[in-house]
Amino acid sequence: MSRLIVRLAVAALGAAALAGSLAAQTAPPAAQGTGASGTPPPLVSNQELLEGLRPDGSRWLVFGGSYTNQRHSPLTQITPENVNRLLPQWIFQTDTLGRFETTPLLRDNVLYVTGPLNKAWAIDARTGREIWRYVRELPPTGSLTACCGLVNKGFGVLGDKLFMTTLDAHLLALDIKTGTVVWDTAMEDFRMGYASTIAPLVVKDKVIVGVAGGEFGIRGFIDAYEANTGKRAWRFYTIPGPGEPGNETWEGDSWKTGGASVWVTGAYDPELNLLYYGIGNPGPDYHSDSRKGDNLYSDSIVALDADTGKLRWHYQFTPHDLHDWDATEVPILADLTIGGQLRKVVMFANRNGFYYTLDRATGQILVAKPFVVTTWAKEIGPDGRPVLLPGHVPDEKGSTTCPDVTGATNFWPPTYDPAQRLFFVNAREVCATYYAWKQEYVPGERFTGGAGQRAKGPDYRAYGALRALDPTTGDRKWEFEYITPSTSGLLSTASGVIFSGDAEGNFLALDSRSGKLLWRFPMGAALHGTSAITYMLDGRQQVLVPAGTNLIAFAVGDVARVPATR
Amino acid sequence: MRLIPAALAVVVLGAVHLAAQATPPTQDVFVRIPADGAKNPLEGDAEAIKAGMGAYRVRCADCHGMDARGIRGPDITQVWARGRTDDALFRTVRHGVPNTEMPAFPAPRTSDNDIWRILAYLKTIATPTIDEPRGSGIAGARVFETNCLACHRVNGRGGRLGPDLSRVGVARTRAHMARQIRGEVPDFRTGYEPIVLTTPSGQQIQGVKKNEDLFSVQIMDTRERIQGYLREDLRGVTNVKISAMPTFGREKLTDADLDDLLAYLSALQGPEPQAATENR
Repeated sequence: MSRLIVRLAVAALGAAALAGSLAAQTAPPAAQGTGASGTPPPLVSNQELLEGLRPDGSRWLVFGGSYTNQRHSPLTQITPENVNRLLPQWIFQTDTLGRFETTPLLRDNVLYVTGPLNKAWAIDARTGREIWRYVRELPPTGSLTACCGLVNKGFGVLGDKLFMTTLDAHLLALDIKTGTVVWDTAMEDFRMGYASTIAPLVVKDKVIVGVAGGEFGIRGFIDAYEANTGKRAWRFYTIPGPGEPGNETWEGDSWKTGGASVWVTGAYDPELNLLYYGIGNPGPDYHSDSRKGDNLYSDSIVALDADTGKLRWHYQFTPHDLHDWDATEVPILADLTIGGQLRKVVMFANRNGFYYTLDRATGQILVAKPFVVTTWAKEIGPDGRPVLLPGHVPDEKGSTTCPDVTGATNFWPPTYDPAQRLFFVNAREVCATYYAWKQEYVPGERFTGGAGQRAKGPDYRAYGALRALDPTTGDRKWEFEYITPSTSGLLSTASGVIFSGDAEGNFLALDSRSGKLLWRFPMGAALHGTSAITYMLDGRQQVLVPAGTNLIAFAVGDVARVPATR
Repeated sequence: MRLIPAALAVVVLGAVHLAAQATPPTQDVFVRIPADGAKNPLEGDAEAIKAGMGAYRVRCADCHGMDARGIRGPDITQVWARGRTDDALFRTVRHGVPNTEMPAFPAPRTSDNDIWRILAYLKTIATPTIDEPRGSGIAGARVFETNCLACHRVNGRGGRLGPDLSRVGVARTRAHMARQIRGEVPDFRTGYEPIVLTTPSGQQIQGVKKNEDLFSVQIMDTRERIQGYLREDLRGVTNVKISAMPTFGREKLTDADLDDLLAYLSALQGPEPQAATENR
């Protein structure tokens, strides 16, 4: 012990001496942005968030790469020709239970990564060495109500703060240099079924988040908090209260426990100043007698004013859902020419089996077409409502419907390649038998009123496919078939490579023009709900893959490293 | 020898972990509970089973499935067959499983009897009901040796191509076993599906599939060799649509032989653990 104290004292003296010598140096040039007080400027600016993914590959600062959520990197060093020369550079093991569902962030050669059980790390991107770690003291995990894994989908960042949601429904700001808590705000009481796993989206001076709990009888919402203080700026309830338009779409008091959770990060259009978020399922999920009506804004996309949280427009994909088809897929923004007219659109491949392109200024439906076998609806009618087919109301005996509960796709991110004008999505071809029974609401307990189970037998082959869709028509350009359904997110690059994963734990690289397989690496665990990210480091393009409890960084082995000069 | 410190470490870690969770320190989820623990006082009680079914559907089925064969949560129809005891299961439900999404069901909201009712119901869908004893187990053992032992193992004897049957009397009903043997139900079990690999020279390797992905397949061949193959090294990989388990019609196995065989199989409850004193 005493030796340790001596060593610490020596270290402290050394640090003081170092600080002194640094202070004695001439002030760094203004171009580096040092403030007048001598303190360095905040690490991440709003301008950087607006810029998204840059050609120099120096940053990944937003969940979807940029506010558009395209996850399409401008980097071109890794190509269809050399991707088979990717080599692992390092492996980071979390030494914890549970799996990654996160999108890591990168700034100044450091990765910021959230993991299961609200652990988080700053990691040296060159070596995979830990710089700091944060571990949240959680209530006993048996009392947490995250329905589907004690996971987290990633940080948001602004200035010198990282933002993370927690399984007990708090929002935290951590000091980006040390991982210590700067502020801690309770969004709701986790004992009432609330949890949060969503990656925060930082817009201007606000941190946008939502809550999970669609299987626990919550009333969902999207919140904005002041990035500086953690004070709530606005709340948009995803279920309107009495007197608000849409409340009449819930029978009786069912709006109080109707779910409509928000657990996948939305997109942001700075010109329109609108946020686009997908909303979760109505509850109870399967037995719906108690919630007659359309149940707005469950299973909808909402466009909210980013400053006030006021609703600009909405579109409901699945009115009065009976199959747990949360619209919690990742919306992607782009500008497309449809019918000879240039449109600002939002693209959305939905759990219910349909792919949609909407005008994002107005919410008008431009394209709606199934991208998997879809048995519950014939088509989306001219009024925007699905034309229902008979026989798809779950009961005690069970009724079989395609897609299954997990859906045609789900929260794993798709990508969009603006040069090829292709939307890429990992699709699932699975059907389920849905059961429903009446259930009483008990605060904090599961409130699903049924169950759905994968349909088995020779008529129900379950598989998955990476599909390339033309977003102006919904037509399929190519597909790559998996032997079982994949739950991996995607990453695409300007050089024509698309990175995916299969359920058997292979990390895959494909040619995004043809769907041809180019390379694979067995990760030992599937990429579940998460995508690879890519960035430049010392002149070499890196691909970082979260899979299971590991992060693995890849680079092309024979590209020379260019060390940093400063 | 090397296992002992590891096992001790697991026990100690488990105890520390549980202490942190404020559960009774004597209840260690990491250690197999001896089979002489508390029995479900409501087992077989018709009223309890009915109430347990309602509670199971509302609180468990969403994750574990209507038939308890698993959705997001694991298959829990085999828990007794795998040697878990009533009181160990009770504690899993009561306290949840740390660091997973299996929640705790604490008192007073969930009473002891609420949990016993759910377990009483689960037992009706998970394990065999008591069938009327028919046939001779001793004669059945001979039938088994002649017809089944080449592929199935019991207490360390027999083949490995088919599932080990040392506990099948706990895991399957007599009626279900009869249907399987007679070939009246489709019988494709993961890990035992028949497969034929064709090498570039045209040689065929027959076996059962243990695992596969887009690029490879792992099998046990008919000589019980376990081995992985790359698809690119093979001319063909054929999943055989007929079960590896042969059908035993009456021409191969009389009703009387089947009764004897079922009497033998129903009595298979897993190897008896040896008392620690016998190993001193």
